[in-house]
Order: sequence, then C-alpha cells, then structure tokens
Amino acid sequence: MSDMRAGFHQEMADLEQTLLGVADQAEQMVGMAVDAVCIPDMELAARVVQLDARIDRTYLEVHDRWMTLMARQQPMASDLRMMSVILHLNTTLERMGDQCVNIAKIAQVTFGLPRSERIVAQIREMGDLVRPMIRTGVEALVRRDLDEARLLPAMDEPIDRLNRNMYKEVVDCGPDPGMLEWATRMMIVSRAIERIGDQVVDIAEQTAFLLTGEMMEFNEEGMAASDRTGDDS
Amino acid sequence: MEIVENAPMVDVTALESVPLSTPPPVAVETRGLGVYYGAFRAVKDIDLDCVANKITALIGPSGCGKSTVIRTFNRMNDLIPGARVEGEVRFDGVDIYGPGIDPVEVRRRVGMVFQKPNPFPKSIYDNVAWGAKVNGFKGKMDDLVEGALRQAALWDEVKGKLRESGYSLSGGQQQRLCIARAIAVKPEIVLMDEPTSALDPVATLRIEELIQELKSRYTIIIVTHNMQQAARASDFTAFFNMDEDRAGYLVEYGRTEDIFTKPRQRMTEDYITGRFG
Repeated sequence: MSDMRAGFHQEMADLEQTLLGVADQAEQMVGMAVDAVCIPDMELAARVVQLDARIDRTYLEVHDRWMTLMARQQPMASDLRMMSVILHLNTTLERMGDQCVNIAKIAQVTFGLPRSERIVAQIREMGDLVRPMIRTGVEALVRRDLDEARLLPAMDEPIDRLNRNMYKEVVDCGPDPGMLEWATRMMIVSRAIERIGDQVVDIAEQTAFLLTGEMMEFNEEGMAASDRTGDDS
Repeated sequence: MEIVENAPMVDVTALESVPLSTPPPVAVETRGLGVYYGAFRAVKDIDLDCVANKITALIGPSGCGKSTVIRTFNRMNDLIPGARVEGEVRFDGVDIYGPGIDPVEVRRRVGMVFQKPNPFPKSIYDNVAWGAKVNGFKGKMDDLVEGALRQAALWDEVKGKLRESGYSLSGGQQQRLCIARAIAVKPEIVLMDEPTSALDPVATLRIEELIQELKSRYTIIIVTHNMQQAARASDFTAFFNMDEDRAGYLVEYGRTEDIFTKPRQRMTEDYITGRFG
C-alpha cells in the first residue's frame, strides 16, 4: 500500500513528536515543582517558571502548525481524529505546565514558613504517583494501546484520595498560625497535582477516542462512563 | 471502533437517527445489483438503500462503478449496446427492470445532471420547457419554467433574458440551467454524475448549496471524485472499490459524518486518508 499523503502524514507525526517532547518536559517539571515545595528550593522553583515559558512557546508554535495542516490538508477519519488529539494534547500539556508554575510559585511564597512533615510527605507521595501516570499516559498514546490507556483512572484514584485527605491534614495544623498559612497553601499544591492527574486521564480518553472513534469518559475501572461521578474536581 | 476486515458491507445502523418504529423512507433500493458490458462485469452484488429526501454520495476510485450504478437508476445503461443488468433496482418496492416497466417513464421520474453542463442549443426558456413539452405538459409553461429556474437558484440571473441561448450563460449558470431542466419534469430522484467537476470553486459551492435546498423536494444521488464535496454536501456516503477482476462493489455505506470520522472498514479508512493504491 502506498501513502498518497506521505507529506501530510509526516508533518502530523512531527507534530505528535514535538508534543511527546513537551510531555517529557512536563513530567520533569512536575518532579521539579514538587521538589521545590518539599525540599524547599527557591532556585528550583524559578527554574520551573522558566521552563514553562518554553512550553508556552511550543504551545503557540504547535497551534500554528496545526492550523496550517488543517487548512491545507482537510484530514479525515483516523487522521482527523489524530489532529483532534493533537490539539487537545497541546492544550492539556500547556495547562499541565501552568499547574507546575502554580506549585513553584507557592514554593516561593511559602519559603521559610513552618511546615508539617506529614503534609510534605503526602505532597511528595502525590508527586511520586502522578509522574508515572504521565509516562503511562504518553506511552499508551505512542503505542496506540487502549488497554494501557484504561489503566490511568485506577492510577489516578490514590491521588484523588490523598487530595481529599489533605483538608484534614491542614485542619490538624490549626493551633500553629504560621504552619496553618503554609498548610493552607499546600492545599492548593495538592489540588494542582490532583488536576495534573485528571489531565493525564484526559490524555488517556483522547487515546481511546483516537483508537475507537468514540469520545468516552473513563471511570475508575477504565471503562467508558457517561458521567464521572465521585470526581473531586 | 474496531475496524474489521469482514464486517457487513452495509451499515444497518446508518439509518438509526430515525426512530425504529418509523424506518426512513427509501427512494431507491438495489438488491444483488450487477452490471455487465458484454462479458465484462462492471459492478457486482450491490445492496444499497438511498433514503428519500436525502443526499447520497457515491465515492471511490476511478473505475469502481459509481457512475455505472447510478445509471442503472434511470435505465441509462439500456442505451449501451451489450449492457446487461442483473438483480433489482426498486422504486417504491417496484423493480424498474421488471416486466411492463416503461424506461421513458422511469427517466421522467429520475432526472440526471452530467459532469459537463450540456444545455441544448436553444433558448434558456426552451431548455427548461423542453422536457415538459415532450411529456405533453398542458399547464402554464411560463409558470413551470419560472418555478424550475427559481428552484435552481437561477431565476434572478436570467429572468430578463429567457430568450437568449443557454450557451450565453457561464459554466456554473449552465449547470444550474441543466438542474432546472432536470427538475422541470417533476422527478422524484435527481442523479448527479460529478456535477461540479467542470466548474470553478465558487460555482461548485453554489451548486452544493443548491443541492441542499433541493433535497426537501427530491432524493439526490451524487457521484463525486471530490471527497471533501461528499463530506460537505451529502447525508449518506457509499464507498465503492473494485475487486481483482475490476468489478466494482460496495465496501461501506453509512452516514456521511461516520464515514469521514470513523469508518468501519479498513479499506474505507485507507482510501479517505490517502493510504491507498
């Protein structure tokens, strides 16, 4: 079988490759942002903000290339679905970068405040859980693997649980006003990590759309659900 | 969606937006349709239901039998020496190749518009009136001509020069004149065989818009090489290909939005994404 649209397919593959690079970078940024909070490390936080500027530039560049391809090539069927996935992935990764910046900025404004090691451990655990999620979500897309994509909601579940639990941990910091200020900010960090987990599930749903042609919301078993209830978002 | 190699050729779910209790009215249905030109089998085993008052597009590579299929709908293949049709083509359940069927009456009920505009060397008025005159129309001819030209979105452009030659019009206007001529005899079905392939892009879009307006009155079946046109302009799409003996067959038929976003057959997917040949 020959490919009559080899040029277009190559450009589409190049766009996907660019985004896979962004996903790699986003995963590293998550690790750096969580470290910036947990160590804490002001320089690392500043580095995250710098890296996000790079993601933002790539976001605009990918968007331009995407528009040009759509206008010139008018893709159909799986090509059309892939282009839809690329657009969605571009936005999702850009927002993931923004969440990392939110975390990094909190690392900066909470620097020097008294901390709860229990909460630090919990934030670190959430970071440790979400990074493999990003890798798995991207792998599922790269391999066009529906079964792997369906793993993501189950991987996200402990992050959601830790995020829900964070409120109680913060309340426990109540007697110490300095620590309470720090802990309240950590709720936002927890929430940002939880959102990143949800964004990876979105990527998995996009992979399922690419492969099946059906837009579906995953529930915790990785099956399609018309309504994701119990979501703490 | 699982793309399957051997799924049923006709997607019965294609019609599912209409409640099951009221199946969509089918204007033309073929069963086991095959066409031979002498010993050569041009198309085979076509089972296709064209829904009334919808636009059905026939797409596929050159030589896959699209035009051959629609020419069975008005018995035009009868005019080709050595052509033979097998199977059935039914209008309202009646096989138009059955005994006692008058091909002339079939052609009155099924209008046709061709690739190149082919007005008669007559006035604009006479081009539109011709079919009605041949059919012994007894009513007010002026009203009939005006009505057909209005439906073809041409009236405002020609109302002051009805006695001028049809050849004086632009290519796009000539094609709309041919559409007016086809609908002047009040057909139920209008066949269009690549009706815009000789037109510029603006005239093409004009015709596509016109087709959308006409579908409330007529069932439209259009052969097109232009996949974007099929995607833009049709409600249902049938994809044809040819087998190793060069006989055309129906690969997949379904709602246009499904065919162009999530076709069920690998062959359709490969064709419309350009991975084909």
